[in-house]
Amino acid sequence: MPELKEKLCSLSGAAGLIRDGARVHVGGFSMNDRPMAFVSELIRRGVKDLTLICHTGSIEADILVGAGCVKRIEFAYVGLEEFGLAPNFRRAAENGEIELVEYSEHAAFQRFTCNTRGESFFAMHEMLGTDLPKVNPDIKEFISPFDGSKCHLVPAADPEWVIIHAPMGDKYGNILYLDKYGMDNHDIVASRACDNIIVTVEKLITRERVFALARLNLIPRFRTTAIVEVPYGGHPSSCLGIYDYDKDHMKMYAQMAGDPNEFRRYLDKYVYGVKSQIDYLELVGFKNLMKIREVGGGLQ
Amino acid sequence: MIEKYTVYEAMAAAVSHELNDFENWFIGLATGSTTIQILSRVPIVSMALAQHTHAPNSIMAPGRCMNPVISEIPTGMECEFSTELLYWRCESNRGFGGYLSERGEVDVGFGSAAQIDKYGNVNISAIGDYHRPKVRLIGAINLPCHFSRFKREIIIVMHKKRTFVDKVDFVSGAGYLDGPGAREKAGIPGGGPCMILTDKAIFDFDPETKLVRLKSIHPGVNLDNVLENTGFTHDYVPKNVPETSSPTDEELRLIREVIDPRGVLIPR
Repeated sequence: MPELKEKLCSLSGAAGLIRDGARVHVGGFSMNDRPMAFVSELIRRGVKDLTLICHTGSIEADILVGAGCVKRIEFAYVGLEEFGLAPNFRRAAENGEIELVEYSEHAAFQRFTCNTRGESFFAMHEMLGTDLPKVNPDIKEFISPFDGSKCHLVPAADPEWVIIHAPMGDKYGNILYLDKYGMDNHDIVASRACDNIIVTVEKLITRERVFALARLNLIPRFRTTAIVEVPYGGHPSSCLGIYDYDKDHMKMYAQMAGDPNEFRRYLDKYVYGVKSQIDYLELVGFKNLMKIREVGGGLQ
Repeated sequence: MIEKYTVYEAMAAAVSHELNDFENWFIGLATGSTTIQILSRVPIVSMALAQHTHAPNSIMAPGRCMNPVISEIPTGMECEFSTELLYWRCESNRGFGGYLSERGEVDVGFGSAAQIDKYGNVNISAIGDYHRPKVRLIGAINLPCHFSRFKREIIIVMHKKRTFVDKVDFVSGAGYLDGPGAREKAGIPGGGPCMILTDKAIFDFDPETKLVRLKSIHPGVNLDNVLENTGFTHDYVPKNVPETSSPTDEELRLIREVIDPRGVLIPR
C-alpha cells in the first residue's frame, strides 16, 4: 500500500496557515482545553483583523483581542469565570475597537451544529424579547410558516479555521480523547463544522495505538489539516484529564490584563519573550506544571 | 430554636420553599467570586435541602452533573466548568444540562444580573450605550434561554442600589418586558422570572401589573436599609412587608450536618 500522507507540522508552520482577516474558531470551553500555545504563536506572527467565532470565550479571546489580532468577535460570553471579567475584551469594547456580534449561548453552539448538517442557517425561539436582534443584524426575525410563531433565523458559524487542543493523536491526523471527555465536548462538534482543522496535541501516539484505542478516535484523520505536538499546549487553560487550569497563572493574567501597560509586560514575558514551547514551560516552571498535573483523573 | 444562622443559610432555605417535587432545576455559569457564592453554592444547598425535605423526585443540574452527591463535594465549586465538577459523584454527567435546558424541560433556573428592572428584565451584556458602553460585561450567555424556555426563573443578586433600575440598558434576558401581555405578544413560550432573592430581601412580581414588589425582608435587616439600597422608583413596597421566614431547626440541621457537613458551600 502506498504511504499515508503525514500531517505533522510545526507550531509556526501551522499558525502560518492563518491569514489576516480569517474567520477562526479557537476551541475549548470556558477555562478548559484552549490551544494557548497556538494562540501565542498567532500573536507572535502578528496576525491581524481576525473574526473570532466563540461561544464561551475566555483567555484565548481576551489575549487575542488585547494583542490587537481581532477585528470582530461573535460570542455569547467572554469572561474569565472565577477570575472575573475579561479585561482586554472589556477595554476594547468600551473603546469601540472591536465589532461585537452577540448571540445567546444555544444560538452560539447551534451555529456550529448547523455547519455540521451542511446548512447555512437555522430558526430558534430563545432570543425572543431580548435586545440581541436589535444590536446583531445577523439575527433575522421570521414567522414560522408551520405554526405562525415569531422566531429568529441565525446564520451558521462558518469558520474558515477551527483550532483545538486535544490529549493525543497520530502523525496522520487522527485525534483521540480520554474516555470521559469526548462525548459532550463541543470541540468535536466544531471539528465537524469546518473543512480546515488544526489540532495541537499533548502527545503523538503511534498508528498501532490508534487502532487499539479506536473508540477514542473522535476526529478521524481525513478531517484534520495539520497536527502539532505541543506538551502543555493548553497552559494556562486545562487539558481535561491531563492537567487542570493554572489558577495562580490565571489570577496573575487577570490582574495584569487589567492595565494596558501591565498586559504589555505579560505579552513581552510569556508570548514575545519565548521562542519555543520548551522556553515557555521553563518560564512557567517545573513546580507549577507539577501542581496542575492530574493524569488519571479521567479514569474515575 | 437555633438562633444564629448566616444570611446564606437563610437564602438557601427560602429558595428551597420555592422548589417542588418532580421538577428539574438548572444552574449555569457564574462570573466573579461573590456571584459564584450566591449563584452557585447557595442554590446547590437549596436544591439539596428541597430534595431532603419535600422534593425527592426532583432533578438537580449544576452544569453537566445530574444529582451530584452534595455532601461529598471536596471543595466549594469554583465555577460551572471547574474541572473538579467532572469528578463529583453523580447520577449522570454526560451532556446533561444542554438538552434539558434548550428543550424547555427546566422548571426552575437560577440566574444573576448586573441590572434588573421593574418588570424583571435583566442585563449582563453592557452598561450604557451598547456600542460604546460604560462597562462591557460578559454577554447574554444562557439567560435568553432561562427567561424564555424555563417555567420559572429565580434571580439571585447581592443587594446593591445600582442593580435595581427602572429600565435595563440592554435586555439580555426577557422578564415581563414593558408590562402585562408583552411576553405573549413577543411570542415567548416560557414562564419568566418568579422571584428575586438578595442578601437583604425577597421580591416577587404582581400578577396583575407584572411589576416587581417587595415580598419579605430577611431577619436582621430593616426596611430603611432595603429602601436605601434599591434603585427602583415605582411603588414596590406593599403596606405590610413580612420578615422572611427563618430557617427551621430541622433545615439548619440538614444544611450543617447532612448537606454541607464540611462547610465548603456555605462559609460558617
